[in-house]
Order: sequence, then structure tokens, then C-alpha cells
Amino acid sequence: MKSVSQISWCSKIMLFVASILFITTLFFPIWQIELDAPQYPEGLALKIWANAIGGDVEIINGLNHYIGMKTLHTKDFIEFTLLPYFIGGFALLSIMVIILNKKRVLSFLLIAFILFGILSMVDFYRWNYDYGHNLDPNAAIKVPGMAYQPPLIGYKQLLNFGAYSIPDVGGWMLLGAGVLILGATAFEYQWVQRYIFRKKTNLAKVCALLLLVSCNTNQPEEIKLNYDKCISCKMTISDSRFASAILTEKGKTLKFDDVSCLVRYTKEQKISYKGIFVADYLEPHNKLLNIKNAICIESPKIKSPMRGDIAVFSSNSKNQDYIKAFEAKKLTWIDILNKF
Amino acid sequence: MKLSYFLSIAVTTAFVYGCKPKNTNTAVTGDAASKAYVAPGKHDQFYNFVSGGFSGQLSVYGLPSGRLFRVIPVFSVDPEKGWGYSEETIPMLNTSHGFVPWDDLHHTELSQTNGEVDGRWVFGNGNNTPRVARIDLRTFRTNEIIELPNSAGNHSSPFITENTEYVVAGTRFSVPPDQNTDVPIDSYKENFRGYISFISVGKEKGNMDIAFQLECPGVNFDLSHAGKGKSHGWFFFSCYNSEQANTLLEVNASQKDKDFIMAVNWKKAEEYIKAGKGTKQKARYAHNVWNEETHSATSTIKEEVTVLNIKDFPDICYMIPCPKSPHGCDVDPTGEYIVGSGKLAALIPVFSFTKLQDAIAKKTFEGDYQGIPVIKYDAALHGEVKKPGLGPLHTEFDANGNAYTSFFVSSEVVKWNIKELKVLDRVSTFYSVGHLCVPGGDSKKPFGKYMIAYNKITKDRYIPTGPELAQSAQLFDISGDKMQLILDFPTIGEPHYAQAAPTDLIAKNSLKIFKIGENKHPYVAKGEQETKVVREGKKVHVYMTAIRSHLTPDNIEGIKLGDEVYFHITNLEQDWDVPHGFAVKGASNAELLIMPGETSTLKWVPDRIGMFPIYCTDFCSALHQEMQGYVRVSPAGSNVPLKYGIGNKFSGQDATAKK
Repeated sequence: MKSVSQISWCSKIMLFVASILFITTLFFPIWQIELDAPQYPEGLALKIWANAIGGDVEIINGLNHYIGMKTLHTKDFIEFTLLPYFIGGFALLSIMVIILNKKRVLSFLLIAFILFGILSMVDFYRWNYDYGHNLDPNAAIKVPGMAYQPPLIGYKQLLNFGAYSIPDVGGWMLLGAGVLILGATAFEYQWVQRYIFRKKTNLAKVCALLLLVSCNTNQPEEIKLNYDKCISCKMTISDSRFASAILTEKGKTLKFDDVSCLVRYTKEQKISYKGIFVADYLEPHNKLLNIKNAICIESPKIKSPMRGDIAVFSSNSKNQDYIKAFEAKKLTWIDILNKF
Repeated sequence: MKLSYFLSIAVTTAFVYGCKPKNTNTAVTGDAASKAYVAPGKHDQFYNFVSGGFSGQLSVYGLPSGRLFRVIPVFSVDPEKGWGYSEETIPMLNTSHGFVPWDDLHHTELSQTNGEVDGRWVFGNGNNTPRVARIDLRTFRTNEIIELPNSAGNHSSPFITENTEYVVAGTRFSVPPDQNTDVPIDSYKENFRGYISFISVGKEKGNMDIAFQLECPGVNFDLSHAGKGKSHGWFFFSCYNSEQANTLLEVNASQKDKDFIMAVNWKKAEEYIKAGKGTKQKARYAHNVWNEETHSATSTIKEEVTVLNIKDFPDICYMIPCPKSPHGCDVDPTGEYIVGSGKLAALIPVFSFTKLQDAIAKKTFEGDYQGIPVIKYDAALHGEVKKPGLGPLHTEFDANGNAYTSFFVSSEVVKWNIKELKVLDRVSTFYSVGHLCVPGGDSKKPFGKYMIAYNKITKDRYIPTGPELAQSAQLFDISGDKMQLILDFPTIGEPHYAQAAPTDLIAKNSLKIFKIGENKHPYVAKGEQETKVVREGKKVHVYMTAIRSHLTPDNIEGIKLGDEVYFHITNLEQDWDVPHGFAVKGASNAELLIMPGETSTLKWVPDRIGMFPIYCTDFCSALHQEMQGYVRVSPAGSNVPLKYGIGNKFSGQDATAKK
């Protein structure tokens, strides 16, 4: 019987393919910097293999001497001695994960690979910076303030050359292997089921989530009256005086038409939230108030949409009259949480 | 969910690949073909005189067709035309070093009258063994070559003043003056000098003479152009290597942020020479002149040259700072603006002649360079064209106040307005344009219409011919606001500059034949009755004629081993386009190509006893194949009598010359 700590056969296949990709990476250039200039219709490219610099490196070295850039030689970079071992090591490790059949080893592999990726890019950036900035002061062509740092990834114009730094075949293979390892890990740890909710996930929601993650605000979204639906009871939020929202840790705004719905929801879903915001009964068109700075009252005369009968006021407002008018009693948030 | 991962990777990839800017390929638009096409039987609109560079010759193309019409031999021997092989042309290539069979014809310049191209002569400079040649545009032949003493690397040449009063020659390599040459190389700064020669050109016949030389500091003179209109009387030279390096110039001559444009007040220099202030120095240089009546050249060695040392005359030259090893130095048609192009600069400075004069008057100097006052950059500057491209080289002008500058590094030509210093248009060239030509582009009245870019890198432009490729040139239509590429054509040699003039200006004077009545060649035979073979000791002179389709005499006997035989062939034709050729079997020489009415001589020293056919090499008539003869060479001491003739007139006229 397969234990919880073991890996499924599906992931094992993915890992096996990944290990093959790691090996084949060694036979193709991993990265390339294409150099485009009008007088090079045939194109020029620097190819970076696991164990050497290749491509038109001799021609590029010849051109670089005009601007005083150091010439590129495989022997100057220890990376080319180490890289083949690292990549071979990853191939081996992928096989080890299959053999050892433990999820923990798989997650170790993923973390190791991500670290390796980040380290490589940092190292590449460092070298680009060094070669682009440490120029021979006696160079023939000196453009004041100009540095010739090639882009880490993407396009950059350097004098009459367009430099275009992108992965090559080997690089895509490495990325492919990484995606497979990520996929296997995600599959084993059921990330999709756990973190993207039970609803049918579609790409749009995933992207929206990612987008929201990247947005990272401390304020909830605005609630669109007569449009947004209460996430708990599914009723359209139409009374602005009672609208409320939860700002989740991940920055998502969950909207409710009544405080009672909000409280019930937090109890059912056990989500961690950054803040709870409720409309100001007197100034409902304003921004939602943070519940920490608000005063809550309860009275049956406050007829809220779901009969939670709670109204919230800003601590600055003249709410004393209303308490009397509604014959309400003040409540703390804990009281409210216990009520529903 | 795995699909979403892969999809997002795909999206990222597409984004990364998508962000690469597309190559803006210069698409040739539909009507380019009609603009470049000259229908069969029709004539081109312009003559394009293109320097052959390392070929040493001057090529003539037609515009807009880009067809090659003639390669005029100038500084390199041309066995096809007998140039440098016939007895008459050998003196043309004589120098103080002796006969030199090759040189680099670097730039061309058409003669001008009142600042307008007049179509009389085109000048070419010899870069290696410093010389200036004058080509006559009635005959398209090199008529005169003068050598330059004290000089090396004649690059800044042959640029003319607006009335062709002078053609100048400036040195690219500074050397110690001829009078004191054996010095250590690293004594460059003390001993090496730059020389600018002012060659006077005769108004009627164009005869050249070195009027005077200016001895200048040891910088490299690159290019120059004369002032015109208001700046007539001044000449401007771009200078680089103001660092005065003698080794690894690639690095050492590129150190200073600014080099100079040297402004020379030649009218003042002329006055000083007239006042006798020049020093006469010993020198040795050849002066070779072609005589059209005798169809021969004479070479004389001159032994003296007049020199003005500008150190002693500080009001002749002024230095204007110019960024980064300037190459081009071009004066606009009004004569007001001087454009400097710094090879390594990222901007184009434009100087104003008015401001320059002002600065000189007010003495707005920032020190001096080896005794020459240096004008403050901003005092002479009209403005800078910002960010035009990379590596500006040359500027030509049209008649509408626009300038066209070639950019070698960014491989493009940029059109900009001179007064406003604004970039108006840019076109790519294929590849790495060096030099430009606009017909009349360096005169007061440019003809405009076309612009030709001469490129340095060809690569995939035409069908490949092994590792060595022809240079490529692109023809642009500049009659509209935007430049339009209409033709791409290969050139001979390597053009470094070119000139162009409207067809009519030159075609109307083009000679069709040489009048035989005016032929004063010492060995001419004006008819078949004047042909003979005369022995003068070991020299045998054959007076021969060629006419369709026989050579007279065509049978010769009595030549002996050890003789020097001179075949003097006169082409008796007086009709258009009937040349005759001449060759001898096994001759250690080239052929002759003789034009109607002309006489040309081939020297032949037989290397053995035997029978030697002679024949016409240029297809002249239906019976061209029959145009042949025989020459019998007998042993040295033999007593075979001298006999010659044709048909049944093979007479034994035993002749010893009555000289």
C-alpha cells in the first residue's frame, strides 16, 4: 500500500524525463546572446554551453577590443568546470528521488534546483556587469557614460548592436526539467486542491490570484453596489450601509452584504485574514472602516439584510444619538463573533 | 492544473521572444526599378567618376543605371590599354623613385569654375607615392601627373578651390622633410612634419605646378575642402593624431577627446609667396606631361620647391577643435558652414565661417597647438547635430540646404538640415557606408537628384565570388523629402570618393577621333606610303600603319637576336570607334590599343631566333582575323638582309638610318 510519504508513479515518470533532460542539456548550448547589427546580416551569437563559451566568440572578441572590453575565454570562468557536475548531479538526484521514493527528497530536489537557478542568474548578472563596466581606459572608442553590460534576459541596444539575451536549447531543457520537478512536487503535495479552493480552477482564476498576490495592498477592494454578491449567502449587495469585507492574507477581498454573513464565513472557512472592514452606517459612500477602529451596535430596530442587525459607526461620528434612537447596545467584536 | 503551468511558461516564452525589436529592413518600393532603369539605346543622366582606391584607376559609371563604362588607367599599369607598357605612356608613371607600376587612386575631384562643376578635368590623388593626376574629360585620358616632395600618404587630396586655382595635397603620414630623413622613429614629435602642397592649375590647359608647400606640425591630414563664396580664400583640413603618436595609432591616436580642423588662409600664404617670403628647398620630384599632338609623355625631374613654415607665419593657419579623430571636413554650398565628422563621435559639429572670422579678429583662442592658435570650440561652433548615428564619416550637400552624412558604424546615411541641425531622414546602407557622392555635392551649385553610398562591407549583397567580393554601392533618389533606395551595384577596386556631373556637360566635348593631320608623333606614318623599317645600330624602328584590315608592313625579315625592335603603329582610321590592337608573340610586354589617328609604340626584344606572328588584337572588321603578319628573327651575326612589305611590295630595302 502506498504510504502518504511516497511518490506516485506519475511523478516518477516526470522525474525520469527530467533526469534525461538534465543529461541532454550538456549537449546543447544553455544560453545565447544574439548580436544584431546592420553589417552582420549573417548574425552573430555568443553561445554559452555547460562547459565552454562558443558561437562567434572570436569575432565578438575582435569587435570588443574597440570598446576596451576584456576578451572572453572559457578558461577564465571556473563555472565551466563546475556546471557539468552540477547538472549531472541534478540528473542523479532526480533518479535518487525515484529510488528513495520519498516526498521529502523530492521537495529537497525542487528547492535545490530553484536555488541553483537563482544562483546561476546572479552569477551571470555579476559577470555581465563586470565585463560591461571594467573597460580598458585606452580603448579607441570611448562614449562618455556608456557601459556595455549585456542584458540578463531580453533586449538591449549597445552602440550599433542589438544584444538579445535568451535561453538556448539547453536552457529550455533545464527549464523543462525544472517545470517537471515543480509539477511532480505540486502533484504530490496537492497544492492545487489545497490552495486554489474546491471550485473548478481555471487559468483565469489562477492568473487573477497571482496578479492579486503581486498587487499586495492593505486596503480591500471597493464593493460594487447592486453588482457584487455576498460570498456567503450569494445575495447581491444592495444596501451600502451594511456592506462588509474581509482582506485575506493573500490580498483578496471577500465581500458580504451583512456582518452576520461575514462572521459565519470566517468560522466555516478558517481563513487567515489581514483585516475586516465594514461600511460606516452614517457615511456608507466612504471607504470601508477597519473594524479595529469602529464602534458596533446591535438592535432589532436595525434591519440589516440578513437580520444580523448590527450597524457600525466610525469612532469619530456622532453615534450617541443613534444608539439612543435604535435603543441599541454596544458590542465588541468578540461579542459579535460569539453571536453568529 | 499542469496545463496551466505549461501554458504560463508558453506565455512567458512568447513574451520574451516578442520583445525583440524587429529588423527594419529597407524594403525597396515598387517604382525603384523604373527610376533606375535606362532603356536600351537611351543614355544615363549623369557621369559618375569613382575612385578605384587600391586598383589605382578611375572608373566611370552611368547614373542611374550603375553601368560601368570605362576604367581610366591612372596610377596602375593597364596591359589591356598598354598603359605603362607602351613607350609613350611609360614616362607617365615615372617618379623620383623610378618607374612605379601601382598606386592607390584615393579621391576624385571635378574641376570647377565660379564654384560650379565645369566638366573639363577630373583630378585623382596617388596615396602611396604621393602624386596628383589630371584626367582630360575630352579624351578620358590621364594627361598629367605631378609628384609631391616632402610628403607621404597623400590622402587629403585632390581638393580644389572654387575656380580651380589650386588643387591641394595634404599628408596623411607625417615624415621628416626630404632634406633630413634619417632620424629615429620615436623622434616623431621633434622631426616629423605634415606638408600641404598647393598645386597651381593653369586656367586654359590645366597644367600643374607646385606653387608652394606649407610645412605644418606632424599631425595626420585626413580630408579637406575649400571654402567657397564668402569663405573663398580659405581651406579646411581635418587633422587627427594630434597626440603625435608614431606607433599603435589605433589606440594612441584615439586618446584625445578633440583633434582639429585646420583653417588655412591660402590667399594670405599666396601673398607671402609673392612677396618672396617662401624658402626654396632642394627636392626631387617627377612631373609627367602628356602631349596630345605627339601622343607621347615626357617626364622631367624637378629639383626645387618653395616652402612656407607656418610657425614663422602664424596668421595663415588656425586650429578649430573637433571631436574624436575627425575624418570628413565638408563645406556647404553657401560656404558658411563647415561640417566636421569625427570617426568615433556620436554627434556632428557644424562650424560657422562668420563666427570663425569673428573669433580670429577678437583673438578668442584657447592656447595654441605647436604655435598655431587654437580657436575656442564654442566661439566657432554654429551648433551640433545630436545623436545622428554612430561613426560619421562624410557629408555631401544638396541644393536645398540639406546635408547627407554617412555613418560607418551604424551603417546608415542621415539627412539633416544644416541651419536647424535637425535630423530629417535616415536610410540603412548595405553595409557600413564609407563615402558619399551627391552630383555637384561639394560645389556651390549641387545638381542633387541622386546620392550614392559607397560601402565597405558587401557580404551577402550579391551572388558570392569566393572570399573576395566586389565593393557595393547603393543609389538613392533624393529628389523628394525622403531618401529612396533604387539601385544596388558593385564597383571595381575600392571607392573612397566620387564625383558626378550631368551627361551633357561632358558628352558634348567628348572626342571621337584624333585628327591624323595633327599627329606630330616622331615616328608617325601618315599613310601606307610612309611606312618603313629603319635600323639604327642595334635598334630597329618599324613605322607601321593599321587600317581595316591589314598591317603595313606585315612581313619583316632581317631582325637579329640582340636587337631592340620598336613597333610604331599609326591607326589610319578617321572613323568613330575603330580602334586597332597590336601584339607580338612571346613579347615580354602588353598589347597596344591604338585609337583612330593615334600613334603608339611597343618595344620588343626578341628572346630567340624564330618566326613571330604579329596581329591586331581588337576586333575591328569582318576580316579582323586576317589582320596579321610575320617577323623573322635571325641569329646575331647573320647576314639576312632587312626586308619588309606587304602583298607584292615585299622589297629588300637594306636600310641603315641616315641619322
